[in-house]
Amino acid sequence: MKKGLAEQWRTELKDLLRGASGGFLFGVPLLYTMEVWWIGSFVGPVRMLLALVLTFAIIFFLNQTAGFRRDSAVHTTDALIDSVEAIAIGIVCAGFILILLQEITLQTPLHEALGKLIYEGMPFSLGVALANQFLRGDEGRFDQQSDSSQSKQLSATLSDISATLIGATIIAFNIAPTDEIPMLAAAVSGLSLLSMMIASLLISYCIVFASGFTHYQQRQQQRGIFQRPLSETIASYLVSLIAATVMLLFFQKLEFSDPWQVWLNYSILLGLPATVGGAAGRLAI
Amino acid sequence: MSHSSQEKPSRSIAEWTTFGIASTILGAIAGLVIYAWTTEQDRPPVLTLERREQIREAQGQFYVPFVVKNTGGETVESVQVVAELRVNGQVEESGDQQIDFLSDGETEEGAFVFRRNPRRGELTVRVASYRLP
Repeated sequence: MKKGLAEQWRTELKDLLRGASGGFLFGVPLLYTMEVWWIGSFVGPVRMLLALVLTFAIIFFLNQTAGFRRDSAVHTTDALIDSVEAIAIGIVCAGFILILLQEITLQTPLHEALGKLIYEGMPFSLGVALANQFLRGDEGRFDQQSDSSQSKQLSATLSDISATLIGATIIAFNIAPTDEIPMLAAAVSGLSLLSMMIASLLISYCIVFASGFTHYQQRQQQRGIFQRPLSETIASYLVSLIAATVMLLFFQKLEFSDPWQVWLNYSILLGLPATVGGAAGRLAI
Repeated sequence: MSHSSQEKPSRSIAEWTTFGIASTILGAIAGLVIYAWTTEQDRPPVLTLERREQIREAQGQFYVPFVVKNTGGETVESVQVVAELRVNGQVEESGDQQIDFLSDGETEEGAFVFRRNPRRGELTVRVASYRLP
């Protein structure tokens, strides 16, 4: 079965996106933990290498069972190759968010940037290797119910909203009471906020639609109010932003007397992990 | 564990390409860590404090900006910077602040705020202490 070149690339891209989505699901909460940034900045190179080797060992182990590819690896060499890729995907994704959060800038010394990348990349890489395991694609199930009566549409929309809300709240609940959001907000600029919004939308889209996780074909077929990929992504981002704001209010990180810029900054910053949680929530239903 | 455990053909070009890119990334990271390792000397931390900018006055307060840099080889924790303003030999105002982390080559900026004009007295801003992590 020789596949066409375009087809090969499509499969490959989907595999990579699935891996990256798994990484985000698993790694984003730890990205908002300043202790991990700090350990990255003072840990020595020997420990960094050890951390890489340890991650590699764990991921190699995981890749023999779970992995992120549709045809999951069974041979040892496949698992080895996939492990290298999983770590690379993890490090690239973690690096992308660290740059967005301005934890790695041009001023960051090399040694510190490396430490942050490696330590934050670890949970991401684990997520990549677990991608198939914790959200496995279920393509056989999608043609069960495709009647689109008005009430069905409405209930599908409602269940999507509530799933997003629950997922977003769980993640936001974990991050909102900590000091990271005010800390990150102190360094943030207008451009980086805009990029955070775009990144949130992209990641959410990738997790739910592009990566081929559970139910995604069913999702693309449904024609509810909330079901078109683009409108669903935007609507769930808004829901996640609301969940983030409510959690910040709940933990008194936001007060009604605060200026609106603070509300905006905090909500967008917490909105990124909340969106990832919301996307996970929608996959779980 | 796969639901599609059919006979898998050899890796496609696309898969080899991503593997190539992935191993380059990983190799680069590992290489940089080793580079950091070999260039790492057992140098103790050296903390320098500079006052590059001018003292700024706004609404009756005087802002004294400072830049602290670690030019040594080790990362330090809890760097304490103190400022004292002496007028006629007596300490009139003082302030201190802590910087959480300062790794090698890193700089942090901050400012002290005084109510009196620091130009009319003798101002000292210095690093008082640090801790090793």
